[in-house]
Amino acid sequence: MRDLHTRREWLWKTASAVSGAYLANLKLARAAPAPTAPVSVARVKTYNPAELLPAMQKMFDQLGGLGRLVQGKTVAIKINLTGSPTYRLGHLPLEDTHFTHPHVIAAAAHLMSRAGARRIRVLESVWGTADPVEEFMLQANWEPNDILNAAPNVEFENTNFLGQAKKYSRMPVPFGGYIFPAFDLNHSYEDCDVFVSIAKLKEHSTAGVTLSMKNCFGLTPCTIYGTGSPVDGPSEVPKGGRNLIHEGNRQPSKGSPPEKDPTSPREETWRVPRAVVDLVAARPVHLAIVEGIKTMAGGEGPWAGTQPVEPGVIVAGLNPVNTDAVAMAVMNFDPMADRGTPPFEKCDSTLKLAEDVGIGARDLRRIEVVGTPIAAVRFDFAALRRQRQAAPPRIGLRG
Amino acid sequence: MRWPGAWKNPAALDILKGTAIDYLLIGKGQEYAAVRERARQIGLHLAESDAAPPGVEIVKGEWPGVKMARGSDEVTGGPTGVPWVDSNGWAIRLALAFHPTADVWVDVAPAEKTVITADAYQVAVADSAAYGGRWIISLDHPLAESLMAGQAEALAIWKTMAATAGFFAARKEWAGYAPLAVMGVVSDFRGDNEFFSHELLNLLARAGAHYRILPKDGISAASFASLRAVTYTDAEPPSPALRKQVLEFVAGGGTLIAAPSWGAVEGRPLPVRADEIPRFSLSSVGNGKVALAKAAPDDPYMWAGATVVLVSHRYDLVRFWNGGATGSFCTVSPDGKQVIAHLLFYFSGGPDTATVQVAGRYRSVKASTVERPVLANVVVKQQPDAIEVHLPPVSQYVALQLQVST
Repeated sequence: MRDLHTRREWLWKTASAVSGAYLANLKLARAAPAPTAPVSVARVKTYNPAELLPAMQKMFDQLGGLGRLVQGKTVAIKINLTGSPTYRLGHLPLEDTHFTHPHVIAAAAHLMSRAGARRIRVLESVWGTADPVEEFMLQANWEPNDILNAAPNVEFENTNFLGQAKKYSRMPVPFGGYIFPAFDLNHSYEDCDVFVSIAKLKEHSTAGVTLSMKNCFGLTPCTIYGTGSPVDGPSEVPKGGRNLIHEGNRQPSKGSPPEKDPTSPREETWRVPRAVVDLVAARPVHLAIVEGIKTMAGGEGPWAGTQPVEPGVIVAGLNPVNTDAVAMAVMNFDPMADRGTPPFEKCDSTLKLAEDVGIGARDLRRIEVVGTPIAAVRFDFAALRRQRQAAPPRIGLRG
Repeated sequence: MRWPGAWKNPAALDILKGTAIDYLLIGKGQEYAAVRERARQIGLHLAESDAAPPGVEIVKGEWPGVKMARGSDEVTGGPTGVPWVDSNGWAIRLALAFHPTADVWVDVAPAEKTVITADAYQVAVADSAAYGGRWIISLDHPLAESLMAGQAEALAIWKTMAATAGFFAARKEWAGYAPLAVMGVVSDFRGDNEFFSHELLNLLARAGAHYRILPKDGISAASFASLRAVTYTDAEPPSPALRKQVLEFVAGGGTLIAAPSWGAVEGRPLPVRADEIPRFSLSSVGNGKVALAKAAPDDPYMWAGATVVLVSHRYDLVRFWNGGATGSFCTVSPDGKQVIAHLLFYFSGGPDTATVQVAGRYRSVKASTVERPVLANVVVKQQPDAIEVHLPPVSQYVALQLQVST
């Protein structure tokens, strides 16, 4: 308890100091070049552990080795299990289209344990429930033991509600926040030494792309930020999605930090990218992994009018903006694109917003790419996007 | 079938030709005398409209389907935001638990001033028949009038309904199959326990749980066969005999999920993660465990949700993907060679790309709908302890006939 208390105090003090600096002179912050770190790219064609494990090991080695990052540490891994476990793209397993594949999660946990991680906590705010993550996975037809048994020190927590703690963790946004000055999150996001985002390589109907940063949108507990969260205070169990953040139709439950400016735009294409950057600033990502062995094109889930694709690639890096920039390039999108340019035709670029506040660079000329060259693994999501946009809308009773 | 009040001409009986409808509930007034006479001549059974014939248990039901918010096209959500489905399956099974040799008829009329589609009528018939009951066919007034006027649209609705009833009538042997269950619900289902226990059955079914109804004065060791868990929520403690029987089940490896009324549990306390089952203490008893609620249950929804987690989705008999609002009921033939999985899809129109997984080992599967006795374009994937079936677009009801691997 003493350690946790100390860590919380440290976060608060650090956050306050950084926040003050940003608020005092945001221009100065923007003038400083956003940080960069190497990004590893690998061609991985299957989820067969015999191929996956050595490939991921090599990627982590290319980034300087996992041991440096995780030895003796508590590692929190945010995975991406968006939507209901009973909603597939056609008849395809969820992990082949829009869920982070369990073999990738297991491989990461295994390698982290082998590199000396003390505790590995696999986290997700699973959709619309306070049930254990394991139960959610079973409904998705997964075997949670495949992940739990990947190493001797792996555990799950559903972060869509209070969870194991007695109170939510107040996580301030160091630069003051685009929308939110701070978030109240499940304790797991504070009670860790290393934070890892394992995302799926996907487009997103609201944010253009969903990669390691957008994956962090799911840090927010729906007991406070959800459609069914009470106005007067957090609910016991989560209900519904995060319309509150998407559309800004109301403020988070009382007691949690409200928006800085309730008169700011209510359009989700403006809000979601900013809220994501606020979250990534509040809960910095130490290791970003974007898994695109099998995935979908056209959106973040089967509800978004999508098609299955097999890019056969994994991207990993120590800076989430750098990593997402490389992942965008793999998708044949320009990471320097801004609103009006694919994939951000109708929304702001999360990458640009993150770069603007100094989280990381998105300019490929400044990012060292190691492993397989981007050109060798490029999968043309951009062309598929153009084809979809040129096609007539689907009509009919079963369209 | 409840004979429509406006049908006073015996010629109206012609509509029943070739259908499975064999019983009429008809008014006793003189204006129906000619209809009654003709009905007897063509071999129909008759009863008064407000009286159950001998050997029949009447269940006052809910109109089955997805509940829509009043005055809008919005689907009403349950406590988790998932669509709220009304089904009479649990009530039919409860009636059969107390009256195993009876025929169970479900009495519910379509709501006034609503448009009832062919899909909705198919759901009404299938929702009862799948669980071993029969819906007393009750036509909405506009449909009854349109049928007498010979309108094509009305006749199409009638044909759908009659075909659905005919589908089940042609498979009467299925009603004699035994329900498959993962858990048991022990209660007297009466008096002070009626509301909670009935609502628990309703909500467990809605959560996709497959259970056996165990009236507590008729329990034997066989009652627990193949179950993984039982739940006990009655307000009063169990009798010593019932307590002994349940604890023997637990000692053999089962799980008891009980209200505090169960009483003290002598066992080894097990660690409980605060976020997993916050309202229960857990004890190891023999080879099994007891989850004892810390407070008397007051919300059957919460109890149903906790029960499903305590039993675990690992043991789901049926899993759906892309089914929308679904229901399922599995039965096994007396010789154990065939399992029937009744699949209900409550959203109008049925699903486009539903996937269904049924736990167990099967060597083959045949999918049938009312419209197509053998459904084509069904993809079957064998899994280690289950079979996964990829369905093409289907309507409101599918029967999977699974041949058990020997």
